[in-house]
Amino acid sequence: MSSFLRVEGLQHAYGGRQVLDVGSFELGEGEIIAIVGPNGSGKSTLLRILNLLEEPTAGELTFWNGVRLSTMTRQEKKELSGKMAMIFQEPLLFKRTVRANVAYGLKMHRVAKEERNRKVQEIMERLDIEELAERDAMTLSGGEAQKVTLGRALVLEPRLLLMDEPLASLDVPARKSLRADISRLVKEMGVTAVYVTHDYHEVLEIADRLAVLLDGELQQVGKPTEVFGRPATEGVAEFLGAENLLEGEVSACRQGMADLDIAGINIEALCEEPPGSRVKVLIHPEEVVLLAGSGDAGSARNRLPARVSDVKALGALVKVDLDCGFPLIAYITLASREEMGIERGRRVTAVIKATSIHVLPYVGPGA
Amino acid sequence: MGDIWEGLVEAVKLIFSFDPYVMRITLFTLYVCAIATFFGMLIGVPLGSVLALYRFHGRKFMVTLVNAGMGLPPVVVGLFIYLLLKRRGPLGFLGWLYTPRAIILAQIVLAMPLIAGITMAAMQNVNPKLRLQSKSLGAGEVRSTLTLLRENRLSLVAAVIAGFGGIISEVGAAMIVGGNLLVNGEPYTRTLTTATVLEISKGNSTSAIALGLILLAITFILVWVMTLIQQGTLLNHPARLARSLMSRRRKEEPA
Repeated sequence: MSSFLRVEGLQHAYGGRQVLDVGSFELGEGEIIAIVGPNGSGKSTLLRILNLLEEPTAGELTFWNGVRLSTMTRQEKKELSGKMAMIFQEPLLFKRTVRANVAYGLKMHRVAKEERNRKVQEIMERLDIEELAERDAMTLSGGEAQKVTLGRALVLEPRLLLMDEPLASLDVPARKSLRADISRLVKEMGVTAVYVTHDYHEVLEIADRLAVLLDGELQQVGKPTEVFGRPATEGVAEFLGAENLLEGEVSACRQGMADLDIAGINIEALCEEPPGSRVKVLIHPEEVVLLAGSGDAGSARNRLPARVSDVKALGALVKVDLDCGFPLIAYITLASREEMGIERGRRVTAVIKATSIHVLPYVGPGA
Repeated sequence: MGDIWEGLVEAVKLIFSFDPYVMRITLFTLYVCAIATFFGMLIGVPLGSVLALYRFHGRKFMVTLVNAGMGLPPVVVGLFIYLLLKRRGPLGFLGWLYTPRAIILAQIVLAMPLIAGITMAAMQNVNPKLRLQSKSLGAGEVRSTLTLLRENRLSLVAAVIAGFGGIISEVGAAMIVGGNLLVNGEPYTRTLTTATVLEISKGNSTSAIALGLILLAITFILVWVMTLIQQGTLLNHPARLARSLMSRRRKEEPA
């Protein structure tokens, strides 16, 4: 995938306070990158900088046509801005008809009336909002309004679409419908998109890559499965809702395989840290296998005798809290629960493969 | 009570007989107020927008000036303009004192801060992201500001109503800088308010009541028209009517 937008050493400060230090990353043409992070982590600021609405304190942006931010002329900035569109969290519609709203950007770019009408009609048909065309935009529901803002952005046929939590203000059905529209149209039109959100669940289906931004710093960029499977830092793991994030110490290490001491219990994991290092250990609950009694653990290296301390049904899955010398959470199916008779107080064996245990560098409190 | 009733009857007769003196004063008043409101808008709307949307050195001071200007006593404005325009004043060379231009200038000074202040307050109330959205869709500084003004048209009409209402009813400034003059028996700088004051001082309450009634009627009609524009009924109603006629015709055609 060719580089479409390159960000290097980007920093931004407000009144001397550093709010963004994202280092470097690249965007491939036609990909959807999701930038996730908690509120106040600098996501919207990053988006405004990419949209040339704000100038960064330091750093360089190189756009698809080779134009660099540091040497950009007014004309180049205008041309680039014309190739980008942004959607905000609230549907910011103007007090006019839906058709006039969708046509707004084209009018600003002085597109001839016939061409403008044709494009507006076409995008409204693709979004299935033609019947709203003559409605006053102020009378639309949240979902309809955000659909109109999507149309208003896409009618410009942007090369880069920037979305700032576009689903945040919608209810669940509207979210689902708009997410599908975004995904379909962005891919159909070959638009490169940056999607910012604090709720990573909403982008897993549509993002090609996931970037995690914490306290203004870009912590990790990768495919969603990679970032979820192997979070680069404790902060990323915590933000992504890791349930088994444990503290431990490397007691021995040989050829990439380490013995880890977690609350006095020894487990084996892939790790390069020297003995004596403090580490954080991430075990995804769905990678913990429960066996009734001692059972057959296959090739798994870690077999931990455990007692079930709590059982909660979560729809089709069951969350099992275990005490195996340290607290551990496992997810099993309803069928497995019935088959094994998993109840509070039941003795089981928790089996974890060494490759399913992710060892992260330890960051102490306040770091 | 009888005097008032008699005065009212006489006033109505005067109005409906289209008395040339009264008509000239009325037209002159409308003329100066319209020009002053227009220039007040021309300066006040951009000034209010700039003060609302941009941050710069001296902004707070300018905001204070505009806010103070919204409550300027007309007599003081009249005095200030008089001092500027009098023969030995800094702008004496213009020769504007006791001319309609002097009244217009004083009324611009009165109307402009009202229009700027209301525009500023309205623009500050708009979601700042709306301007960002407009810019992100390709609008520059000017067009994004114009978009915001359009979004705020209700408040802008309110600003114009306030500006116009403020100057059509003032008497102090017009009297000081205009002089309430007749030239060759024709009203030259005589407005409805200054003429009313004069008629009262002459003890001619019939004429005073007539002029007062006209002033009230004009103010009411103009504010009513502007309110219709503000609420969208005046411009939308004919458009809606036309649309409904067109669609009815289209429906009838196939039949």
